[in-house]
Amino acid sequence: MYIGIDVGGTCTDAVLLDNGLVRATAKVPTGSNDILTSLLNALDQIMKGVPAELIDRVVFSTTLITNFIVERKYDPVGLILIPGPGLSHVHYRYKTDTYIISGAIDYRGREIMPLRFDEIENAVVDLLNKDYKKVAVVGKFSVRNNKHEIEVAEVLKKYCPECHVEMGHQVSGRLSFPRRVVSTMLTCATRDKYSYFMDSVKEAMARRGITGSVFILKADGGTMPLGKETCVPIETIFSGPAASTLGVQALIPPGETSVVVDIGGTTTDLALILSGQPLLAARGATVYDQLTQVRALAVKSVPVGGDSIVERVGKEIVVYSERLGAPFCLGGPMPTPTDALRVLGLTSVGNEDKAREAMESLGKPLGMSCYDVANHITNLVIDIIIKEIDAMFLQWEQEPAYRVWEVLQKRKERPRIVVGVGGGAAGFITKIAAKIGCYPVIPPYAPVANAIGAAVALPTLQVSLRADTEQGYYTIEEEGFQGQIAKERFTEEDALTLANDWIKKRAKKYGLTMNIEKTEVTRRDVFTMVRNWVTTGRIYDICVQTPRGIMGHIGSRGDF
Amino acid sequence: MEKTGLIFFPAFDWAISPTHPEREERLLYTRDQIFEEGVMDLPQIKEFAPRLATLHDIARTHFCVPRVQSQVTEAHLIAAGSTLQMGDSLISKEIKNGFALVRPPGHHAMRVVHGNRGFCSINNEAILVEYLRRRHGIKKVAIVDSDAHHGDGTQDIFYHDPDVLFISFHQDGRTIFPGTGFTHELGGPGAYAKTLNVPLPPGTSDETFLYVVDNLILPVLNDFKPDIIINSAGQDNHYTDPLGSMRFTARAYADFTSKLKPHLAVLEGGYAIESALPYVNLAIILALAGEDYSYVMEPDYWPGRFQESQDRLAQVKKMVDKLLETWENRDKADIQKIFGTGKYYQKKKFIYYDTDYIEEEQFEKVRVCPDCPGYIIIESRGDRGYKQPVRIFAVSVPFQACNACQNEAYEIYDEAKNKKDFDYIYMQDKSTDTCISFDKKKGQEWVTEG
Repeated sequence: MYIGIDVGGTCTDAVLLDNGLVRATAKVPTGSNDILTSLLNALDQIMKGVPAELIDRVVFSTTLITNFIVERKYDPVGLILIPGPGLSHVHYRYKTDTYIISGAIDYRGREIMPLRFDEIENAVVDLLNKDYKKVAVVGKFSVRNNKHEIEVAEVLKKYCPECHVEMGHQVSGRLSFPRRVVSTMLTCATRDKYSYFMDSVKEAMARRGITGSVFILKADGGTMPLGKETCVPIETIFSGPAASTLGVQALIPPGETSVVVDIGGTTTDLALILSGQPLLAARGATVYDQLTQVRALAVKSVPVGGDSIVERVGKEIVVYSERLGAPFCLGGPMPTPTDALRVLGLTSVGNEDKAREAMESLGKPLGMSCYDVANHITNLVIDIIIKEIDAMFLQWEQEPAYRVWEVLQKRKERPRIVVGVGGGAAGFITKIAAKIGCYPVIPPYAPVANAIGAAVALPTLQVSLRADTEQGYYTIEEEGFQGQIAKERFTEEDALTLANDWIKKRAKKYGLTMNIEKTEVTRRDVFTMVRNWVTTGRIYDICVQTPRGIMGHIGSRGDF
Repeated sequence: MEKTGLIFFPAFDWAISPTHPEREERLLYTRDQIFEEGVMDLPQIKEFAPRLATLHDIARTHFCVPRVQSQVTEAHLIAAGSTLQMGDSLISKEIKNGFALVRPPGHHAMRVVHGNRGFCSINNEAILVEYLRRRHGIKKVAIVDSDAHHGDGTQDIFYHDPDVLFISFHQDGRTIFPGTGFTHELGGPGAYAKTLNVPLPPGTSDETFLYVVDNLILPVLNDFKPDIIINSAGQDNHYTDPLGSMRFTARAYADFTSKLKPHLAVLEGGYAIESALPYVNLAIILALAGEDYSYVMEPDYWPGRFQESQDRLAQVKKMVDKLLETWENRDKADIQKIFGTGKYYQKKKFIYYDTDYIEEEQFEKVRVCPDCPGYIIIESRGDRGYKQPVRIFAVSVPFQACNACQNEAYEIYDEAKNKKDFDYIYMQDKSTDTCISFDKKKGQEWVTEG
């Protein structure tokens, strides 16, 4: 049996899956300072009468890290940056003490400007004088050569052995110095919060005698074993939306192209499932206006929801993105889309008379009946959401392509079904679907789709290898590893083998027993280097991964 | 915020041959640099997806022998299409300027295409100009070519077009491919001084480069008042380029870009793929976006590294003065004295295709007409050496064609279909956007309309 638990800011949701069916669900409030209690509560509710030994696997997803970041509930992190030439340094101003020191590495990993020891020392001493205990060290092109970052980190460790130092190349191996800075800073800031979450989870498992394996969901919809070494905390940000999307994937028939519409109180989250596969974002996730390098599912947050306030401005009715409290029909101060749904009979939440009163207060000066007003408001909300759905498909079609085959295989796809999850979904989904010519689906268990998504998520392993035979070294993006190429003549086949070896190595490191024989190659670029009319080497840029997917679809008995 | 559009299409899976300068690796380090700098995340940069140009877009500009599809690969269609996408985004005001950072390049591709020359098969900028005129009604365009090699393809296509100003500065043709681009190449009788060439001596550095920009290019542009300025942004004037012998820096390329303020820039040559391209491309993008580019510097450069020789500068100053004089007196020039009299102005050309080893012999006739730029007739023979030469006859009717010229042109096309000296006959009517090609052997005619 499998358990999925989504620890959200307000609610902790849990499900127990047994033989492809949902056996029990739970929804309990998340204690602000006591995750453990809510975890235990949730577990107790779904495990009634189920012996702990039968639990094979537990997967968690959480938005806690995101919340810490949003609320800035973390210790300050000092920055030491090595940007070298390129973009103006005015771009590297962050809301913390930032030291820019000399030194530069180029795109091939060659040192083009040495570090200056006095500058490092000054920065370190200054940061320590200002009482920083956490420092992020990030260099441009450190993913091609980590020498500078390591040297600076060593000086830091020498002056302050108890300091927590995070280096850019270990947080993200992808190109983009500014995103690496943000990602490293956030990782540094949230690492201990993540430990706290991990400890609570382990404690809960121990207390309930669960000995099955424990995983955490990442923002890209894959899972990782829960452990200190295995996960960069910010990879779990946005695992909430990823969980809902996977949940929907498990709740609808395989192979469908659909839009997932998660209508909450203040925001509506949209995600796309293209031919059965959730769409990954082309670039790293944006965490409250900060661009990171976190690989994530493409989720778009639209600032409109069931509690958005509605006002009359002159002769127009306007839906705002703010929330001022509960809907009027639930005792709130202002009319909201939920009140409109109540009047139209599309929801049974709240007091009907209060909802009418809200609509009438808006409609009276305009000579509109309360039904007309309610209709008008729901249409406004629907139009906002549909516009964003179109924009999302367009953005997907417009994603850049850097290879001929990528341009040629570009396709147009339109959704066949609109899937609603979340509190406000019921009332809007049928109307949205009708407007864009789709079938509306509100799957059973929609309120705990996120926990189901966690439960069905599978571990994924990816290895991006870049080997430069002229320089004689290779890097593994996901591990921050940089090593020598041992062989004299290193061919494309050798590179592929090496990448697959690394998949196995990673699987072993994380204690994964999944099927790693069947990897797929998602990138296979070969660049012949010619200098002065002679071939001097090759660069191989290869990406292999284990197949993405979920354990199975809910209701397809015996699947899992 | 006003955006700078960018299409980056490095064609990582396309090469002329594995070791050719135009190979997969060419923009690899440029990719590394602009991605690592986070350029695509800058709020004023908008990255667009590449798209394919249609065969008709190409037929509107070129006579591809025997047909468009036999001369282009998908990569060419994408490079050209991406350039058109930048044009569309500019016209729709989605962007204030744009850079098609794409390969393969195109500025050596002439009106007739028997094969690949100078790494180019089809001319991206020319296709863009004809597209902008046809689709968006643009009237006047200026193309400034900053490649170290003379933009002979672009010059050929617009040589008789008074509404397209073509300015090319480059390394002196006596020392580099394609061996043309001298000051006396000034355009045909109907477009006199609408082609300007500034051949620079090998070794020319930033000071002279920017002198030419400030004292010739900017004043001429100011005078011509184009609706759109296009920069053929070749980067082989860089001091590390293996094919060129010039000494421009990335900084100077950026200064040039911010002075010229091109609406659209299109990558051309540049084969110092490590030491120049990452820095020059970054500098150009930042200059287009109005960003500070003063931190961009080649690792082996230091200010003052290149001192311009005063002799060289003086020599170029003289040339600039002379060209400026020609430009200013262009309406007073005695066209008949320069080009002769008669119904047609005619010229014989020999064109060498270095990449594909083809020798082309061309006979070009332009109808001298008081009411329009006149149609162009081309008889061309492409000789590959190992098989029968291919002979074509082509008629091109300009956008601005008068009725009489248009009628005459069609009559000439119909007559040519019966002549036995030619394998393929073409009609390219830009005024109605109709392209016709006739295969003599098959007796078959294809028509496309825009």
